[in-house]
Amino acid sequence: MKPVYFLDAGTTWSKILKVQNDKKEYSIIKTSDIKNSDIDFEIKTGHSVDKTKGKYENEVVALSFGVDKQKLQNETILDLGSRDAKWIKFKNSKFQDMDWNTNCASATGATIEMLLKFYNLDINELKATKEKYPVTCGIFGLEKIMDDVSNGVDTSFAVSKFISGIAYNAYNFTKRPDRIYLSGGFCENKCFVDSLNFYTKVIPLGRFVLVDGLYNIYKNNMNNC
Amino acid sequence: MKDIIAFWGYPHPNLIKKTKEEYKNAVWLDLDVDFNSPKTSILPENYCSIIKNIFNNALFYKERIIKILAPIGRDKCDSALFAVEILKNEGFIIETSVFEEKEYKKDKIYISSSNLPLRKKVELITANIIEQKDYSYLPQTKPSFGFWGVPPNDLSILELFPDDTHVFGWMRCVEQMSPYDLELEQFVDKNIGTVFFAQTFCAKNQLAKYLADKYQGLYIDIDGLSSNSTRAKIEAFLRLR
Repeated sequence: MKPVYFLDAGTTWSKILKVQNDKKEYSIIKTSDIKNSDIDFEIKTGHSVDKTKGKYENEVVALSFGVDKQKLQNETILDLGSRDAKWIKFKNSKFQDMDWNTNCASATGATIEMLLKFYNLDINELKATKEKYPVTCGIFGLEKIMDDVSNGVDTSFAVSKFISGIAYNAYNFTKRPDRIYLSGGFCENKCFVDSLNFYTKVIPLGRFVLVDGLYNIYKNNMNNC
Repeated sequence: MKDIIAFWGYPHPNLIKKTKEEYKNAVWLDLDVDFNSPKTSILPENYCSIIKNIFNNALFYKERIIKILAPIGRDKCDSALFAVEILKNEGFIIETSVFEEKEYKKDKIYISSSNLPLRKKVELITANIIEQKDYSYLPQTKPSFGFWGVPPNDLSILELFPDDTHVFGWMRCVEQMSPYDLELEQFVDKNIGTVFFAQTFCAKNQLAKYLADKYQGLYIDIDGLSSNSTRAKIEAFLRLR
């Protein structure tokens, strides 16, 4: 059987799901390389997708279809990536609430990647701390880091405080649930997961929830044909 | 040649009546609306787009404006009170107005709950401020969604909603001729998903966020024009709710 492909093209990284004979195969490539790809995607989502070509699905809709609503029937799912944050909440397995911080990119993944490069740090070596910067705006957060570093604070500790601030924001943004199911690139950021765990229980779901959602939407559409 | 009566918000009906009698052939201009008038630098850059529209439009049409009817009560906002002082200094003739009493309040609404596209509903409600028309003939609908708030600067976001979306908040108060009515302004249909909108930097954000949390609706604030992401957020809410 011919394989089908699904794409979640984020600002920095693109997540791809290939399905053939019910076997799933996931991969990640740089979004800048997607232009060179000749793959014909069944459904696409994500900030960097060209919505005028092929079938596009809204990111929050993809997120909602990417999780098992029967298992997560009263849970909050947060997707945190390079550019933005979005979450949905189910009640009795039905959609209940959502939000999407659509405007400010500076407090999410891309900024952390930039900070790690700037200070030559390894994300795996950062330790979570309860100390945090107020990262209402990432630019103000950056200013705090630079002030602290110039006053002799260890760079890795300063970046950890920044990440802790983002974790605290994520907790408030999702309306302070008892548990958060985490989707997106931040699942692989142990410092962030540990920081968020100071406030609520975190269950990482990995980076492919949205492409799984696209596949589930595809299956639903096929069943309805 | 001066031929325009400008206004914002909902001037008191008596003031509208008196002005109409006095200036029978005048053109009426709603300064709240974004007509792409050239930008002025009188206000801070980060400020409510609607108040910015008032200044941009007023100064662009200054040579044609006879006078401005300026609501300054709780039916509008504190920014309007300050705007009056500045516009007076800019040479405009201003008649202030406070429309807080309930004696004009209509019992029924027809536009907010009609089958018209949401944008058309909002445009009719605001047009009805100056030219009161009878819309009791409009077919009524059972709502699938609600839209709460004031007329957005970017009216195109209203096109995302289905036609059976009902109007709540200040716009509903305007349709009922009761622009300062906190109880009515907070009324929504609890059985439907509602998008609670306020213009960025507007004090109504306080109420919009509170009501959105209370009724599990979607709170949005937009400054100027909506971004693709804000539109996607509304689309997701309408799809999933």
